[in-house]
Amino acid sequence: MSNDNVTNWSGRDDRMVENAIRRGATRRELLQLLMASGIGLAAGGTIIGRATKAFADTPKSGGSITAAGWSASTADTLDPAKASLSTDYVRCCAFYNRLTFLADGGELQMELAENIETKDAKTWKVTLRPDVTFHDGKTLTTDDVIYSMNRHKDESVGSKAAAMAKQMETFRKIDDRVMEIELSAPNADLPIILSLHHFMIVADGTTDFSKANGTGAFKCDVFEPGVRSVGVKNENYWKDQLPHLDSFEFIAISDEPARVNALLSGDIALAAPVNPRSIRRLEGVEGINLSKTTSGNYTDLNVRLDMNPGDKAGFVEGMKYLINRETIKRSVLRDLAVIANDQPVSPNDKYYNKELQAKEYDPEKAKSLFKKAGVLGQSIPIITSDAASSAVDMATVVQQAGQEIGMPFDVQRVPSDGYWSNYWLKAPIHFGNINPRPTPDILFSLLYASDAPWNESQYKSGKFDKMLVEARGSLDEAKRKSIYDEMQVMVSNEAGTVIPVWMSNVDVLSSKLKGLKPNPLGGMMGYAFAEYVWLDD
Amino acid sequence: MTITNPGRKGRFGWHMNAVGIIGAAIILFWMVVAIAAPWISPYPVGKIVDFDYYGPMSSQFWLGTDYLGRDMLSRVLMGARYTVGISLAAVTLACFVGVTLGMIAAVIGGWFDPVLSRFLDALNSIPSLMFGLVVVASVGSSMTVLVLTIAVLYAPGSYRFARALAVNVNAMDFVTVARARGEGTIYTIREEIFPNIIGPVLADFGLRFVFIVLLLSGLSFLGLGVQPPNADWGALVRENIGSLSFGAPAVIVPSIAIASLTISVNMLIDNLPRRIRDRSD
Amino acid sequence: MNALIARLVAKRLGIMLISLLIVAFAVFFATELLPGDVAQILLGQSATPEAVAGLRKAMHLDQPAFLRFLYWLGGLMTGDLGRSYANNREVADLIAGRLANSLELAFVTTLFSVPIALTLGITAAMFRGSTYDRLVSVFTVSVISIPEFMVATLAVLVFAVYLKWLPALSVANDVHGLGELLRIYAMPVITLSFVVSAQMIRMTRAAVIDTLDTAYVEMALLKGASRRRIVLKHALPNALGPIVNAMALSLSYLLGGVIIVETIFNYPGVAKLMVDAVSTRDLPLIQSCAMIFCVSYLLLILIADLVAIMANPRLRNQ
Repeated sequence: MSNDNVTNWSGRDDRMVENAIRRGATRRELLQLLMASGIGLAAGGTIIGRATKAFADTPKSGGSITAAGWSASTADTLDPAKASLSTDYVRCCAFYNRLTFLADGGELQMELAENIETKDAKTWKVTLRPDVTFHDGKTLTTDDVIYSMNRHKDESVGSKAAAMAKQMETFRKIDDRVMEIELSAPNADLPIILSLHHFMIVADGTTDFSKANGTGAFKCDVFEPGVRSVGVKNENYWKDQLPHLDSFEFIAISDEPARVNALLSGDIALAAPVNPRSIRRLEGVEGINLSKTTSGNYTDLNVRLDMNPGDKAGFVEGMKYLINRETIKRSVLRDLAVIANDQPVSPNDKYYNKELQAKEYDPEKAKSLFKKAGVLGQSIPIITSDAASSAVDMATVVQQAGQEIGMPFDVQRVPSDGYWSNYWLKAPIHFGNINPRPTPDILFSLLYASDAPWNESQYKSGKFDKMLVEARGSLDEAKRKSIYDEMQVMVSNEAGTVIPVWMSNVDVLSSKLKGLKPNPLGGMMGYAFAEYVWLDD
Repeated sequence: MTITNPGRKGRFGWHMNAVGIIGAAIILFWMVVAIAAPWISPYPVGKIVDFDYYGPMSSQFWLGTDYLGRDMLSRVLMGARYTVGISLAAVTLACFVGVTLGMIAAVIGGWFDPVLSRFLDALNSIPSLMFGLVVVASVGSSMTVLVLTIAVLYAPGSYRFARALAVNVNAMDFVTVARARGEGTIYTIREEIFPNIIGPVLADFGLRFVFIVLLLSGLSFLGLGVQPPNADWGALVRENIGSLSFGAPAVIVPSIAIASLTISVNMLIDNLPRRIRDRSD
Repeated sequence: MNALIARLVAKRLGIMLISLLIVAFAVFFATELLPGDVAQILLGQSATPEAVAGLRKAMHLDQPAFLRFLYWLGGLMTGDLGRSYANNREVADLIAGRLANSLELAFVTTLFSVPIALTLGITAAMFRGSTYDRLVSVFTVSVISIPEFMVATLAVLVFAVYLKWLPALSVANDVHGLGELLRIYAMPVITLSFVVSAQMIRMTRAAVIDTLDTAYVEMALLKGASRRRIVLKHALPNALGPIVNAMALSLSYLLGGVIIVETIFNYPGVAKLMVDAVSTRDLPLIQSCAMIFCVSYLLLILIADLVAIMANPRLRNQ
């Protein structure tokens, strides 16, 4: 029943399943076939979902769907700079475009930009695609791009990407289609940074975001914050074949069983995400497919190194040995996870350090380390909350392990409401949750540099900071790889962040819905599904 | 039996029928469980004992396992402590405060009654959800906070109910007579009003108890619940609700536990000896 | 007597204004107790001190909160509920649609549950002590003993997932005809009726029994009146006070307390709006919601009190 089977599953096996489908095997037969070859139900469904999609790969036009995410509130926005919840990202991806797009497997595609070039990673020349129009008929020019980018640097906008945008020092318009971006220091990852959701391009001078005027595949028809949004097909979309759907509606169902039920009853065509424990229910149901992405999302246990007890030598290391990664993977996440090694670069990343091993669960070693730190037997508080996914369950796993070695952790569950502003980064021991980021540089500068805004464990190392800048400015791949390798080792051994597992994201969809692919930026095809999916009947 | 003969009440006043005894027995059972839980639980309440989840009943795990593979029997036994303890404490506090104030308001009248009534109305009109959120954010979560929060939420309702009843009784002739005799407020409340409203008040107590048991799970949703790894029964139902579609014991058993407790509390109240229910004669 | 009631209503409406003011202040101070403000919450994980300060300034949140509250109160006097901090829309627009949804749901639920509750309560009282009475009593308690989210989830599983008779979500956007309306409201209404009728049934039964025990009913019985006549003519009017009271409380619950039903059926009502408002610290929206709950609650109990007074001759004459 291990998830590793999916990883070992080769393209050849995919084709075997595909052939079986062509021959007309039923879903149940296929599952039996997979069971016989040692693939568990959870893994089996995923593979079948994948193969079925490949088989029916001729997009059809027309139709409309309702899809549901997990969160919506009155704070929903159509302003890409402020986007913060899944519903915001879905809307932004449908109504706007970015300069670049990060596709399946981390492959970077050009979107509104036709081409992005640099010689020194500091000055970048961006050439825009011609003949792209906004929904109101206006043609896209470099003015729109410059306006959109400058918004992130304006404090009054409240951009979530302000920290990322700070390095883009000046924007120079050359003509309507060509512009230059000057960075404060070289950064070879700029094209990838531009693919983040917040860097969607809005029309020059837009201040009213009650309607969305973008270049995207859909026009905004209805937008009711916290309730629903409806997009209708943009007939003048600059991509020829897209979108396939005539319209889509996006809602949020925060209750997970309700979300799954709505899918099973046919009210919605796509639900994201589903709890690993619901997979058993969904397996073997006719007309349901699963789509799994392991993209680098994790919940971590943060021990602040500048506070008691994290400042005592041995304590953090003890925690890294005490956390039972196997149990978390198996019992908390039902194998929809991959064991992680206390650093944020995901195994899908080309810079991932394969040599770096995760620390094995070793309560005796943890015990001696706690004794060395002089904290054994003390009741140490761990702050946890439902705000960080699975954090409460992980906390109980740690608590139980602690109890068995005479280390009584005091688990305090605090409300989700206000968690990020009151406890996260602040409490001596607390949980955090980090969404996938496409490059090691973004992860390290956001989370581990000495001046990182989200330095969860207050890790500070001059050497680390120097290496970060060096790798960022380098266009030499081999050199970058070796620097990032070493940085991963440093974080894994020195920082106070315990990252037990990579959590997979599972979306469920009606088998009529085709074209959904995994994406490194998150579930629902990195929230951009609306443009790419089609209905097949 | 719509109307009883007052003359025979005295003799059988303490007799309780079978239904009432069953109710009392079940309550007693859960109370014993609540006290003895730590010693009779087969496994530690937070320990993951089974790699499978939503496990069925088996000789190893009598009531199956929960969503993490923890032993349900242990969790239900320990949950009894929180559900029985918190609910009983909170409902008693809420009803005691509410009923006492309600009777005082009805008897004293004058300016006291409208001022108190309007104040409690204003308090009651603030939605409980918001109240819960604010409490949790400002003072944190502990058992005392839980009991007090619930009591504050439920006392105004109890007050309104008791006051409405007491006002009716207060308008009756025998109270006027007592007043004319020159009896004091406390005497009137204790001897004339209270015995005449005790029946409906007890029924109200039973209902409020049920609501509080359920409210507990709602509060844990806001973060104001029992701290992990422990959980009250409502929270057990909520955390295992995903298994409802295959009817796993993880969601059925705590539901039954809740139902057995709330129904037996109401069975007991409905069948209390007449002596307690109708002290009017 | 009409003049008396008119005077009472006028007095109570006056008191209501004062209560509203008290609640407004209480809610304001309560919100101030909550950690974090709207700028911090909107920025979420990216709330660095500079970013928060910048956004606060841009949203004009740099004035003292109390001053902003007074502005809002001033606006309220002229019928202006202000703009939401979270999305800069008119609060009135945000609330209007969802309040209508909540009222609709409450109305349908009332229409469905009150007659059932009254019938069950009165008949149980008439046949007190019978098997029927016991059945009703066990039924009412077991119905509320099941957590609301379990009833709702179970209903969805049975009627939407397995039988596919009803939609799993109650989306009231494009409703055509009564049949569709019934389909959409069926499950939320059943779930809510479970919650509210129990209290009404029990209170009705208890109140009717109470009046049945009084001397004048005994007298009527001795005079040979039929049981049906006694209950409807003598007992019920006297029991009306507590019954209406229980109904008023249930109704006020239906307006603001149905967060679980709104969540599970994805029904956009005011309860979810209120929770959103609190979690984004959206002061104008919180205040406006609180005002709505407060007004509806106070109006409902005013009506309940009026009915109680009119039904009880002794109170009437006081």
